[in-house]
Amino acid sequence: MAPILVHIALIAYAAGAAAFLTWLVRPRPVLARAGRVLLLVGVIVHFGAFAASLGVAGAGLGVSAWKGGQLFSLLAAVTVAGYLVLDFKYELPVAGAFVAPFTVAVMVPAHLVQSGSRAIAPEITHSLALFVHVGAAALGTAVLALAFGLSILYLFSEKQVKSKRPGRLFARLPSLDLLDRASYRLAVWGFVFLSLAIATGSLVSQEATGSTFPIAPKQGFAVLAWALFAALIQARLVAGWRGRRVAVLVVAGFVLLIGTYVGLLTAAPVLQGTIA
Amino acid sequence: MTFLCVGLSHKQAPIAVREQLAVRGEDVGERVRQIKALPGVSEALLVSTCNRLEIFAVAESRAAGEDVLESLGAVAAPHAVCRFDDEALRHLFRVAASLDSMVVGEAQILGQVKEAAAIAQQAGALGPELSKALARATTAAKRVRTETEIARGAVSVSSVAVQLAHKLLGSLEGRSVLLLGAGEMAQLAARELRSAGARELLVANRNPQHAEALAREVDGVPVSLAELPSLLERADVAICSTGAAQHVVTREMVARSLKARRYRAIFFVDLTLPRNVEPSANELENVYVYDLDDLERMAAQNRDLRAAHVGKAEDIVENELKSYLSAVRERRSVPVLARLRAHAEALARAEAEKTLASLHGLDEKQQKTVRAMAAAIVNKLLHGPTSRLRAEAGQGPLGDAAAALFGLDAEQPQQAQVQEPAATVAPRPETKGEGSVLPLLRNG
Repeated sequence: MAPILVHIALIAYAAGAAAFLTWLVRPRPVLARAGRVLLLVGVIVHFGAFAASLGVAGAGLGVSAWKGGQLFSLLAAVTVAGYLVLDFKYELPVAGAFVAPFTVAVMVPAHLVQSGSRAIAPEITHSLALFVHVGAAALGTAVLALAFGLSILYLFSEKQVKSKRPGRLFARLPSLDLLDRASYRLAVWGFVFLSLAIATGSLVSQEATGSTFPIAPKQGFAVLAWALFAALIQARLVAGWRGRRVAVLVVAGFVLLIGTYVGLLTAAPVLQGTIA
Repeated sequence: MTFLCVGLSHKQAPIAVREQLAVRGEDVGERVRQIKALPGVSEALLVSTCNRLEIFAVAESRAAGEDVLESLGAVAAPHAVCRFDDEALRHLFRVAASLDSMVVGEAQILGQVKEAAAIAQQAGALGPELSKALARATTAAKRVRTETEIARGAVSVSSVAVQLAHKLLGSLEGRSVLLLGAGEMAQLAARELRSAGARELLVANRNPQHAEALAREVDGVPVSLAELPSLLERADVAICSTGAAQHVVTREMVARSLKARRYRAIFFVDLTLPRNVEPSANELENVYVYDLDDLERMAAQNRDLRAAHVGKAEDIVENELKSYLSAVRERRSVPVLARLRAHAEALARAEAEKTLASLHGLDEKQQKTVRAMAAAIVNKLLHGPTSRLRAEAGQGPLGDAAAALFGLDAEQPQQAQVQEPAATVAPRPETKGEGSVLPLLRNG
């Protein structure tokens, strides 16, 4: 990836984070607007960097090496893009105050710290399944990260309403109903992408190792997270679950998903080659 | 020219006086026309709300304040306050920013001031000075609203309840509100919820006749209290104010309704003592119970929060006022400079022509040199005074002194072909950068 473009994107994200955090203290509309614009600029430049790197790679799908930081960089870009879509629909500057610093926190180790390339097994360097798998995994994780953020906000806000002693941030928080609906919708989308990532992941695994579903921590966490989100959606549709218990389940599901990434980073060399 | 404000508010006059003086909306235009017709008054604005009756005017001198006060009538005289110049402008800015309101930070006053301005405009009573002052006062008020927390948070029990309903349920469009009992505060809260978009208002009472009467009054649907369990499955907000001695809504009743509600949130607003809703129902998931104490405590917190931001709001108003006054003074100082220069240049030109007429045989270049010399003398002579007058920006005594020393009366600019209108260059004997408040106490 073009380092200069990534650095520009990082600076825009950091400035956006500063604008949103200042908005938390001083809720001037201009600060929220500035935060949105900066994140938008950052994400455009960031995707530009990805496009440039694909251009350098030539064949697009033909990637033979993957730097450890690139996956996190992609995650950060997709999370910001997802947030901007969410904000456009629901107007959630308070979520921006969490998403933007989170993005910076993910981007800094991903790009400012040197990370070594991981070789991809030659059998799958041109695999469409690998391309879809990485894309779906990144989209699913980003969407579920947003659902996780909104669920945390829900739990925080709900606690304040229940205790009847609202703090300073209370006035900036959206309604509980909105947080509940938005995080559930995101959880549904996250579940769809996660399903796609698992399905294509087993194809990639089949191509690379001959095993459709190797037993490893990464796969185990992914399936557990998938099962939990499936149960959550079922409970909502059938029994009408909503509110606190749904928020807790979304948080738990996302924590399991993080386990998948921990599993990825600690995976055996053969599986490392498959990226995900 | 003097900017004046004559009037009274809840701070000076009790409600009995204010209700006698209140001007009905349809009469404001006529009243403001009458005020503008008073001797010496060139512009006028009348702000009449439940808490205040204020006249802002631009007049030739402070003497006009007496006539404006008289126009308010004998009832107003013992309570009314007259403010002049900076103080009057400061009052206008503070009123628009809701710093002079009974509930500091309330949102209505800015709209009322704007409405008064629109009426004055239609009545032909609003001129350039008042318009500019109003525009700046509006800017200050908007800054106060966006840059401080002075308007944040509801400060009455019923509005806190409505705000909480929004916080829990988001938009109230299509929501169902259940009104248990007929307490006055509950009716007020129910009406506010209805006007916020609630789809239906279910009115339940022990006495069916009372339920029907109240339902007619608040545009609701009468229902039987015996249906309470099924009503709890339907309502999103329940406002309780029955005179029952024990809990009308029990925790068990609410718990039973939850499954049928598919865990939709329900907000209980309990406005009576003894309480109608069992307090432990608040522990149930997606159930929120607020009683009178909870709501009053939140209202008090919001009032404290607003009070804590008053200082910052006052600073914003003061900064805007200072900047506005400085602009006004600079605007007013320019005519003196223009008149001084035009006067001097006219004299120089006349003297140069007289000299040229007496000197025969000068060629064109030599004549030009004589004229340039006269102009250069004027420029050098006026350089110092011009710099000092500009630096003073109309805030010191030099402007008036220059006008007096050089005999620059209002008619001169026209003679000297200066574009400034005569009305704007009249001397301001009473303004020396200070305003004043003058309570006028009269007996009848």
